Amino acid sequence: MANLNLAIKENRPLSRAEVTEKYPDIPPLVILKADVQRRGVHYSEAALGALDLELHATTGTHIFGARDGKIAARPESLLLRDGSSIITTPTPLELDPYLVDLHEGRPFLFEDGEPVEEVDYWPRPDFYDKTSSSGTLMQNVVSARPQRLNIFPYRYCTFWNNGNGCSFCDIVTQMKKGKEELGIPARLDPLEVKEVVWEALLEPGRYAALFLTAGSNVAGKRAFDEEVDYYIEILQRVGELFSVPKIPSQLIGTAFDDGQLERLYRETPLTSYTADIEVLGEELFNRHCPGKAEWIGYKEWKRRLVRAVDIFGPGRVNTGLVAGVELTSPGGYKNEDEALARTLEEAEDLASQGVSTVYIVWSPRPGTAIGDQKNASLEYYARLAAGLHGLRGKYRLPIGFDDYRRCGNHPDSDLSRLHNF
Amino acid sequence: MATAIPGDLIELLNDPAATKVLATVDEDGVPHLAVKQSLYVDVAGRLVYTELLESSRSNRNLVRSIWFGKSVSVIVSGAGGRSFQVKGKPVKTHISGPLFRKHYLEIRSLLGDVDVAAVWIIEPQEVIDGSYAARSAEERAKFPFFDHLDRLVKPAATAA
Ligand code: SF4
Repeated sequence: MANLNLAIKENRPLSRAEVTEKYPDIPPLVILKADVQRRGVHYSEAALGALDLELHATTGTHIFGARDGKIAARPESLLLRDGSSIITTPTPLELDPYLVDLHEGRPFLFEDGEPVEEVDYWPRPDFYDKTSSSGTLMQNVVSARPQRLNIFPYRYCTFWNNGNGCSFCDIVTQMKKGKEELGIPARLDPLEVKEVVWEALLEPGRYAALFLTAGSNVAGKRAFDEEVDYYIEILQRVGELFSVPKIPSQLIGTAFDDGQLERLYRETPLTSYTADIEVLGEELFNRHCPGKAEWIGYKEWKRRLVRAVDIFGPGRVNTGLVAGVELTSPGGYKNEDEALARTLEEAEDLASQGVSTVYIVWSPRPGTAIGDQKNASLEYYARLAAGLHGLRGKYRLPIGFDDYRRCGNHPDSDLSRLHNF
Repeated sequence: MATAIPGDLIELLNDPAATKVLATVDEDGVPHLAVKQSLYVDVAGRLVYTELLESSRSNRNLVRSIWFGKSVSVIVSGAGGRSFQVKGKPVKTHISGPLFRKHYLEIRSLLGDVDVAAVWIIEPQEVIDGSYAARSAEERAKFPFFDHLDRLVKPAATAA
């Protein structure tokens, strides 16, 4: 308690222990997860030595890059004791990440030289080392989280064509690296995706959801028609594998218009829909997501999310935030209290209309416009998680399609494990 | 502090004919009890429980327990009135990986087309022998006043 009081008196950011003490209703493991995402990890030689390429998933077909800018064989990510994932990126030591090292022969997270929590490396999917009929390594077509299959159909975003990509985004740099260093196809063949998903599903009990995302593509008769057409084609091909018309699945796409949303729902096995607004507040949205602002606009983005609820159903639509960019300069909120209040106010407006908001911890990446700035304090991320979770409770919004198991990247939706709706 | 379950009790716990009940506690402190035949003891002496339903009360309560360091209890009852209780703490849940897969396959081969949400590992903290004979001997030793006098009369005694 002494440290917490002192920290409050000194008005300095709280340490993890202090945040845990101050917010006893937020599970310490969720606070730890947010902190590891915030600070990143560094793997010791011993921790890398414990990486078994036959048993563990290693960094592969990421659509976005690592914080230290490298592509190398490292654990894809980590699993905590409570079954939740920490999706985190290797981070240079000078940025003070958590260390992953061995403790009594097992991988642990270390902070200030002390072991704080055991972790597991993600299990390697059976299909990763197989090749598709075109000769492509299957892990370069479809990738996996502990219980989710990821399809990244292409790795570009036309918002970058006129330099209007999002301020925190490195999709283009990552696409080049993926292509040059890993031989990842720039655009997937829907039939090949189906072939790989089929192979993946031979592993019993492994996958609880199918997930699809790519960058925005403005092309088409109506803007984004080509993006929608391509998703539909892939989802239809994959859907042919199933005996039911709808499967547990999530698409993160652009905010599509009513006709496009209806097609996505009607013509595919898709059951949930996400269009990431990235940051709440119109001015900040315009500043950080100029491409989205140019082609759709903040108010229309929100309207389309609400419209999607009519189509997909309540508790099946959400939007994601890259939490922390709202505090960057220029233009960011002056302090975390203001940022939290304004963000939750906007999130409540969406929640009251059936749209959930989830966040990921912004991980500043090299080569992005705001990559040299810092993300927010741990206390901010803890309060934001509790706040967004609280809105789901207030408006009774289920988030099962984007929870600790189906996604694993949102401290706020981890908390829904205690909800009974 | 972890405790070891004695060998004879492990045998009873691993006996498919024994009845096993898992007691967890909800957010209001209300106990929730459910018969869980999938409970057994692993080679490390920990309880292993396969949860079929993600949304079950037991599962939610187990999540609350692992998050906030709360205990759960398991009662095992076998033939001849043999029974005991283990108090423990959930220390890990497997939702993916080799152990999860093993249980997924095993339980489906036993029960047919069922799903598995998680495989929970519970570390025993205390073992209480709940058989009447053991509890009665313990009470008599600890609380000599807790007895009916007629039970203490010599079998052959008469008023004369
Ligand atoms: S919409 Fe923004 S975040 Fe998404 S890929 Fe395009 S530039 Fe990157």
